[in-house]
Amino acid sequence: MNVTITEEGAKALVKLEGRLDTTNADQFQKDIQPLMTGSHAEIDMDCSDMEYTSSQGLRMFLMLQKTVSARGAKLVLRNMKPHVKEVFDITGFSHIITIL
Amino acid sequence: MSLKKNFASRLSLYVVLFAAGLMVVVSLMLGIFSSSAIRNISRRMAESQLDRAILEIEQVITEVERAVDNLDWVVEQHLDNEEFLYKVTREIVAANPNIIGSAIAFEPGFYKGRKYFSPYTYIGDQTHEIHTIQMGNENYDYPILDWYQIPKLLEKPYWSDPYFDDGGGGQAMSTYSMPLRDADGHIFGIITADISLAWLSRWMSGIKPYANSYSMLVGRNGSFIAHPDSSKVLNETIFTVAMELADTTAFDIGKAMLAGKKGMQRFVDKGQDSFMVYGPISNGWSMGIVNLYADIFRHVRHFNMFLAALLFLGTIAMFIGCRRTIGQLTMPIVEFSNSAMTMAKGNFKAVIPEVETKDELMKLRNSLSYMQQSINEYIVELKSTTASNERYESELNIARDIQMSMLPKDFPERDDLSLFAMVQPAKEVGGDLYDFHVVGDVVFFLVGDVSGKGVPASLFMAIARAAFRFIGALGLPMHEVMRRVNDCLCDGNTNGMFVTIFAGRLDLKTGRLDYCNAGHNPIVVIGPDGKASYLKAKPNLAAGLFEDFPYEDETLQLERGTRLVLYTDGVTEAERADKQQYGEDRLLEWAGRQNPQTASNLVAADLFNQVKHFTKGADQNDDITIMSVLLK
Repeated sequence: MNVTITEEGAKALVKLEGRLDTTNADQFQKDIQPLMTGSHAEIDMDCSDMEYTSSQGLRMFLMLQKTVSARGAKLVLRNMKPHVKEVFDITGFSHIITIL
Repeated sequence: MSLKKNFASRLSLYVVLFAAGLMVVVSLMLGIFSSSAIRNISRRMAESQLDRAILEIEQVITEVERAVDNLDWVVEQHLDNEEFLYKVTREIVAANPNIIGSAIAFEPGFYKGRKYFSPYTYIGDQTHEIHTIQMGNENYDYPILDWYQIPKLLEKPYWSDPYFDDGGGGQAMSTYSMPLRDADGHIFGIITADISLAWLSRWMSGIKPYANSYSMLVGRNGSFIAHPDSSKVLNETIFTVAMELADTTAFDIGKAMLAGKKGMQRFVDKGQDSFMVYGPISNGWSMGIVNLYADIFRHVRHFNMFLAALLFLGTIAMFIGCRRTIGQLTMPIVEFSNSAMTMAKGNFKAVIPEVETKDELMKLRNSLSYMQQSINEYIVELKSTTASNERYESELNIARDIQMSMLPKDFPERDDLSLFAMVQPAKEVGGDLYDFHVVGDVVFFLVGDVSGKGVPASLFMAIARAAFRFIGALGLPMHEVMRRVNDCLCDGNTNGMFVTIFAGRLDLKTGRLDYCNAGHNPIVVIGPDGKASYLKAKPNLAAGLFEDFPYEDETLQLERGTRLVLYTDGVTEAERADKQQYGEDRLLEWAGRQNPQTASNLVAADLFNQVKHFTKGADQNDDITIMSVLLK
């Protein structure tokens, strides 16, 4: 999983590429650490090139969502591929994370 | 001793080859210079042998000459005493063993009325008796013979070429002739002394510096005066002999001898490599000594052989010496190798031999020693790591047993129900779970999947399973069961762990199914007609995330013969090596092929095998759980 973070003022633009599975979930957690500890008012994730996410990956998104909500900021996931979106739908994560 | 296998031998060989090469070059140069010096010495020796021989023959000749020289005044004073003249010739022959005949030959008409007058004394060839005669007569017209005519014309003493005398001596001879002069210097006769060529040849045969040498005397015209082969004397010249020899240098030798030159020449004499030294004798003859080339230059040959033997033995001695020294020097390498091999065989305490030199060998020894120390330290570490790994493994195995024992194994096989479930964790312990219990005619069942894998997931799974056991048995509506379990799991869940669950309660009498889905994969429903479809269920939200989430349950009326297949994403997301997933389409296709009558355990096993067949031995990356519930 490739994570690219670009900052645009208070907004963080994030590009996600590849698969998020058990083998690289720990790395992903480190990659998104700046977003957890940062003070961005809005985090905009482009998921158009994300191929897969495991349940552990879902947990990462959930943790990020909880942290971001706690500081009153906003997290948005965009352009998710249908089969990836399905995982979010099945598990009910679509209810708690904004997916556009 | 294989050179390829023995370093010391190989090194010795290289050293010796190099040194031997140097030695050969030095020896060659030494040999060339020394041979040349020895060759010169040999030539000088041959030359001095010739000089000595010439000196000896000249002594003989001088003795002969002296016997008749200065006799002219004696003859002149006794011209009128014929008897005395006869006596003179007798005494010359008697007093000189080398002289076999002597004559005083007068000019024709010197004595009035006598054409010939020549007192002559000779030793008979066969009888060895002394005879004195007057030899001049019509048949022996001595004034025209060489021995008389030539010295008279030259007006000086003369040694004749060899000839066979038939005037009295009757044998091959050479004659020394000296003119007799009167007071006015007129020649009135010739006085002679003969020497026997047979005797000369015998005498000459004593001149042989080496066993195979022979000597010869050659006259002014090249005829042999003395030769070991007596048949050659008188009959052959040095040129007729040279013609018989294939080597033309013999001609050159003959020419040089006739020219009165002194020299030496190598040539092939009757097939033998020979070396001839020759030089002039005072009376105009030439003397030659023929030696075998090998005899003359034997010192050169001996020297060369000695040098070659020295070189050969020296090389061998050097090789043995080098081999031994290098062998001793490299012995530690062999010993190190043995130590290393001992270590390689597992004895890491092998003794590494000490070395006293502070060179590369010491470095090698230190490296070996350091390696041994490192290996021993590493082994200690490895033992401890292995022990601790074994402990973890054994603990994990125990944990697995505990986890597996949490899952019920007494599957109900009733007239109205066939239920079976199986779990295959990806690691020792997993995060998947299932549960069921039958109370009267109602069966409660669920399949769950905790996020992640391994120990963290297994602990959360244990909590989830305990919560369901307790809450599921209370007989509450399904949405209430899920709500309470969710609340239970949210309590203290700071890590964001969650579990997706599909839980259902089936009334076996009526076929009414109440179910609640907490973010789990859609289950498969196979109707009595064999048609399979995914059950549309509200996703709600995975459990453990948000407290008080309003879960909603749903109801479905099942016909008898309907089968529910519950599973976790370990089935649909099972991956092949090419990252292709088993997927929901293949699962549905599989479900469509199932016979509605088949017992649940067979159906579950079949699906598991299908998945395994699909992944073709690729590593299982997620826990797999399959449950089949058949309403009969």
